[in-house]
Amino acid sequence: MSALRHSFRCLREFRPASGPQWPSATTALAYRTRTSSPSTSRYLSTTTPRPAILGDDIHADKDIAIVPASRDTPGKNEHSSSGGNGAIQIAYARAVPHSPSYFSRQPIFNDSFVVIQDLARKYGRLPILPKDKVALTAWKTKEQYRLAAGEHVKGRDYATCMTLAKRLNQIHPDLKPDEVKEGLAPFMRDINYHKNRPKIVPVDRFGRSHGVGRRKSSVARAWVVEGNGEVLVNGKPLSEAFGRIHDRESAVWALKSTDRLDKYNVWGLVEGGGTTGQAEAMALAVAKALCTHEPALKNPLRRAGCITRDPRRVERKKHGHVKARKMPTWVKR
Amino acid sequence: MIIREFGFRHGRKALATPLRQTWLRTLSTETSGTPVAFADPALESALQGSPDTRTVTKTPALFNQAAKPTRRRPVIPDTTKEDWEAAQELRRNIGRVGSRIQRTYSPFDVFRNPPGPKDVTLELLMASQAHMGHHTSVWNPANARYIYGVREGIHIISLEETAAHLRRAARVVEEIAYRGGLILFVGTRPGQTQIVTQAARLAGACQLFTKWIPGTITNSDKILNRMPMKVVDQFDQELQGFNSHLMERRALVPDLVICLNPMENFTMLRECGHVNVPTIGVIDTNAEPTWVTYAIPANDDSLRCLAVIGSVLGRAGQAGQRRRLEDAKKGKVEWTTPMEIQQWMTIQNRQAEYAARAAREKQEENASAASA
Repeated sequence: MSALRHSFRCLREFRPASGPQWPSATTALAYRTRTSSPSTSRYLSTTTPRPAILGDDIHADKDIAIVPASRDTPGKNEHSSSGGNGAIQIAYARAVPHSPSYFSRQPIFNDSFVVIQDLARKYGRLPILPKDKVALTAWKTKEQYRLAAGEHVKGRDYATCMTLAKRLNQIHPDLKPDEVKEGLAPFMRDINYHKNRPKIVPVDRFGRSHGVGRRKSSVARAWVVEGNGEVLVNGKPLSEAFGRIHDRESAVWALKSTDRLDKYNVWGLVEGGGTTGQAEAMALAVAKALCTHEPALKNPLRRAGCITRDPRRVERKKHGHVKARKMPTWVKR
Repeated sequence: MIIREFGFRHGRKALATPLRQTWLRTLSTETSGTPVAFADPALESALQGSPDTRTVTKTPALFNQAAKPTRRRPVIPDTTKEDWEAAQELRRNIGRVGSRIQRTYSPFDVFRNPPGPKDVTLELLMASQAHMGHHTSVWNPANARYIYGVREGIHIISLEETAAHLRRAARVVEEIAYRGGLILFVGTRPGQTQIVTQAARLAGACQLFTKWIPGTITNSDKILNRMPMKVVDQFDQELQGFNSHLMERRALVPDLVICLNPMENFTMLRECGHVNVPTIGVIDTNAEPTWVTYAIPANDDSLRCLAVIGSVLGRAGQAGQRRRLEDAKKGKVEWTTPMEIQQWMTIQNRQAEYAARAAREKQEENASAASA
């Protein structure tokens, strides 16, 4: 039947049916005999010509070794007539779609959606947790699902599917079947970001804590230990490292704003950028290191402006401009 | 606020209010007169017999209370799983106790136990509202031969016709499944998803419960481009090594399309007519029966009726697939390899032959050169 179909298709190329819908018995028989003896040299095809049959094709031997996937039923699918040396010996082969939703626009989504609907029907009566007690789950948004599946899923369909999926996810974790977990997997993100926890930086065995700060194009690293207020930046005391008094104050602003200037020693390394950037990078680095010693200081430090990284950088120069935004002088006439 | 003036400002107010009972209790150093129950009677008699030796320290009640912190809300262990399992066990044991109702209607029976072509009776069709047509004013006269009569202003479809046509359609589905055809179930109205997916699952067929994209058949090179396919043998086992064929071949066309709502899918039926794909459709009294190859006159607005029709056709497809696989095991295969795959295999074989010949000639040349 399918052989008949495809041969028709090759021959007729979607010509509208003008005669009877089914061919007469004789023509059908003719096609059938023709298709059953493919070794004749003439092809009745109107499709685009095949690549060169001559032996200069490099890819010729790539697809030669064709064997049936099922090794347990040998002999039935093979012609004994064709000789050895890697020729295809398959009597019966037909192409079938991979997914039952082959003729729909979003086969991957539709298959998953059918699974979700079946699961919702099957496990709809299992006890559920209230919504606030369910473990936080990172769902894919519509855009993320579209990217992952490569299909333009309609928003309404995705919302319907997600309603069912979230209801399934509410099932009590002790009673949730593995089937449900597998069915929900396509709609979850690979990494559950709710489980992310900030990395705790410890105070090392010498009592030092380490912090990194950045500002403009400067990077500062600071090691803070309990002490009596000595500060060394790049091996130099603060007054030598920074010429401006304002910069000196900025560098230790984290300590100064919290009245800890005489309780800690700082050893810092700064590189890149100018003096202002270096000093304010130091401030951030010292603040982070100080937070390791005294976590309760984080809020006062935030209010002092020592926690938030200032994201501003030098704006790039544009073509047609003299600088980033400055336009060349231009006088009419 | 200045603390040293606090007394002047608020003292009057503070003194005016009487002391609360609770505060007084904190100040008192007396114990309450509640009799103490002793666990050991010997100890009790010893204590009460000699009141001089009683040296119970009279700590204020304030400190006693502070010494014993208690949690307000005790943690209740989660017994949801045990409760659920107990309820299931109970249901299993006593669920069937009591009077037994012989005939009940459950809307999901048609999905739990789908009827096949042998179960098609006029009673079943009538119970599933297959006979209800449309208002007489919207009829299509081409359906006159399927109509039994008029009642309450609507046309009544003749269920004998319905049953006969349904059985014929089931035969068609079964034979096409037996010959390895690609069947497609289409039902694009809301609520038909379950019907369509179940029928497709039974018959090993394709399903469509969303919009038919116009041109899926007539413009399949664009619409179904790069849709994944596989090549199978007569036992439905996947064959390896056809990747290059699957990359270059054209998209598949169904060999049979079963449409549950032909009114909304005119485009699809038209495309099927263009490429000679037979179609089966549920034709209500307002539908055009010539759109489909095999009409099933029935009520296409009732999901119950469509569920019965879908499951009958699905069961028929299932029977055909089963018969095909059984016959394949006996060595009887009623389908031939499609022409495209045959051509591809011939080309591959020829290329292999040429390659072998070229290699042999080169070897001979080398041998002759070496001997010379």
